[in-house]
Amino acid sequence: MDEQASQQQEGSPELFMFLASTVHDMKNSISVLSGTLENLLSAHQSSAAPEYGQMAQMLYQTKRLNDNLIQLLALYKDVGKPGYPFDPAPRSMRELVELVAGQAHMLLQSRGIAFEVDYPQDAIWTLDEDLVIGVLVHAINNAVRYTRDRIRLTIAVDGDYLELRVEDNGVGFPANMLESGASAKAAINFLSNSSGLGLYFSSEVAKMHKHRQRSGSIALENGGALGGGCFVLRLP
Amino acid sequence: MMSSEVFSANTTADGGIDWAEKRYLIIDDFVGIRQLLRESLRNLGAKHIDQASSGGEAMVLLSKTRYDVVLCDYNLGDGKNGQQVLEEARIRNLMLPSSVWLMVSAEKSVESVMGAAEHQPDAYIIKPITEGVLLTRLNRVWIKKQVFSEIDQAFADKDYLRAAKLCQDQVAHHPLHAIDLLRMKATLLLKAGETEQAGVVYEQVLQDRDYNWARCGLGKIRMAAGDLEAARMMFQAVIADNRFYIDAFDQLAQSFQLQGKTEESFDVLQKAAKLSPNSVPRQRSLGQTALKLGNIPVAEKAFRKCIEIGEFSVRKTVDAYLGLARVCGQKNDTKEAIRLLNAAVHQFGGDQVTLRAKITEGLVYHESGDFRRARKSGDELEAMLADDVRQRPDTETCLDMATLLFAVGVKEAPVHLLQYVTRNNHDNTVLLDDVQKIFDRARMSDEGAELIKEARMEAAEMMNRGVLLWKTGKLAEAIDWMRTARRALPHNMRILFNSAQIIISALQQNGYERGLADEAIGVLMHVDAIAPGQQRFAQLMEQLAMLAPVSGVVAAAAASEYEAANGPVPESTRFTSS
Repeated sequence: MDEQASQQQEGSPELFMFLASTVHDMKNSISVLSGTLENLLSAHQSSAAPEYGQMAQMLYQTKRLNDNLIQLLALYKDVGKPGYPFDPAPRSMRELVELVAGQAHMLLQSRGIAFEVDYPQDAIWTLDEDLVIGVLVHAINNAVRYTRDRIRLTIAVDGDYLELRVEDNGVGFPANMLESGASAKAAINFLSNSSGLGLYFSSEVAKMHKHRQRSGSIALENGGALGGGCFVLRLP
Repeated sequence: MMSSEVFSANTTADGGIDWAEKRYLIIDDFVGIRQLLRESLRNLGAKHIDQASSGGEAMVLLSKTRYDVVLCDYNLGDGKNGQQVLEEARIRNLMLPSSVWLMVSAEKSVESVMGAAEHQPDAYIIKPITEGVLLTRLNRVWIKKQVFSEIDQAFADKDYLRAAKLCQDQVAHHPLHAIDLLRMKATLLLKAGETEQAGVVYEQVLQDRDYNWARCGLGKIRMAAGDLEAARMMFQAVIADNRFYIDAFDQLAQSFQLQGKTEESFDVLQKAAKLSPNSVPRQRSLGQTALKLGNIPVAEKAFRKCIEIGEFSVRKTVDAYLGLARVCGQKNDTKEAIRLLNAAVHQFGGDQVTLRAKITEGLVYHESGDFRRARKSGDELEAMLADDVRQRPDTETCLDMATLLFAVGVKEAPVHLLQYVTRNNHDNTVLLDDVQKIFDRARMSDEGAELIKEARMEAAEMMNRGVLLWKTGKLAEAIDWMRTARRALPHNMRILFNSAQIIISALQQNGYERGLADEAIGVLMHVDAIAPGQQRFAQLMEQLAMLAPVSGVVAAAAASEYEAANGPVPESTRFTSS
């Protein structure tokens, strides 16, 4: 622990203690919430029932809670700094897509959103799987809000980089967000709204991935294969 | 090749593993989570699902049933945490080699990247867990287990060289596991005493990426080779990159220790203990280092913590009690010190502990200036040593004992002890220098040098006689003579190795014979327990395995027999790698 961090801790040791111990409890509650909702939704055969739509909406809200909690936790743990338990390992892209889809599947189905994937079957890339899944699932949950009815996850090897894209067929990002790009600095500009935390977290995760003097980055675009918003994560 | 498909949750890309017939154990203190996980498992078709709400409950179930899959939450409220449950289950052999252990946690676990835990789960999963994620992770772990199954078996049989070759064979077939296979290969080579080859593997991995474990592995090799400065720099570089890589802290502290920089070592250990306080060996090192520096408050805190976390751990150690007794002695509370020593003997039992507690008692009295009582402890020690029924303690304890006995004015017993140590280590010059130093401090330099020389001769003659019989083709006599030599010098590595070597020669010439093979395995397990990571151990095990498959059961039984008779081998003598 360096000077700065320990000073921070001294500022409010109780808060840090409570944060650490309460997190497990909050996570348990969220797990039970989202797990139960998913089970209820999958048991419902007819999506015509009025409560089905309400449950789908509840699941969406629960996922947002979970996203925010993951991101706050990562920041609390100093994501992007040497103090973070960063754990890159060779991963199969097929499994990565499977894991992301496994987390997003019920939410997408309950909202009537088609999910398409496109990735190189046998590709292996070295990355921190938990962090990257966190970023992609968050991007998908974000797209759920803006898409009309389609979301696409694509992975492609582009030279020395792996490019992961989450695209939708909604109206795209507002101009001011595209202009300022998706840097951490830009994220601070959006602290007043909900996109700030997610963008900041994603860009920190991208930067942590370093290989031979290169590091990862994120970008926001409009267009893509579906004509809506695109979130892009590039990893060396 | 690019594919485009709409994902369906029922797709499994595996060879169709049947998850329905397996036995499951769910360990979580939160009832809602247990129910959810049970639901998910039932959806996979599972029928045998047990549940535990605490570490204690889990241990009861684990000792009754051999589960195929354990889903265990890291945070289990009071008592054991998930890591401690895993450690105990592995150490007590309550799992099948094919068992899968998934550690569930609320957040990205520091433990998963610390590189310090000796017993790792097969995977860490972050909540919330959906069915699809659970299935993917189970399949992944299962496939990896298949890749490693033969390697794990050879590892369990202590045939390290064959296991390392198997790793190399698999690398080409499994690009996804290549890094893990190379990591395992390096670990095996270290265990086989092939440090140079292990170093080559680490270097090869580092060409690709700066994996912390590979950098630490190289650091450990440098440290073992005595290049302490290079090792120090490597460990510090890892810490600069990743302040959670606790293994680098532990190793850095060790490298400072070896450089004689106790204060620097103490600093690092304090930082490490702050990062990750729940490690018995770490708190023990911190306590012992603090004691060396005379920092009594820190030593006391560390030893107390060590006792507290040891309570629920299989790594519970008597060292914490002995250390705390020394602390009390330094605080002039001899009464509390003696109470602790009695508690230690009562809790741990066994000759080793009784002897070490008695040594500590003598030290406490001696340091507090109560020379009359210190002398009394010395006399009692002498009486214990005269009792031939008792097991002789390990080398380190013998040296401590001799030092104390000389200090309190006993003479004959420490001389005998030092002769015993010399005979059993007649070609270990570093150790013999330490023995000479103890003689020097007791003002017996010349006499000591003479005694060491005699004891060395005695051991060498015993050995040479066996080797001569072997070289002149009198194999049966050679084997028999080496049995005599082993009885006389039960801890002499050279004698043990040659004894096994002669038996193996006999098997190679006259054909395989189960009884003799088992005898050789027993001897080798004994050596491995005293001094792990010997090159010759790995080579002889490989020769034995070529004669006939060594069964892991025999090996494990021989090892545990040794431990049962002699108590657990002190960790300080181990060169472990992760």
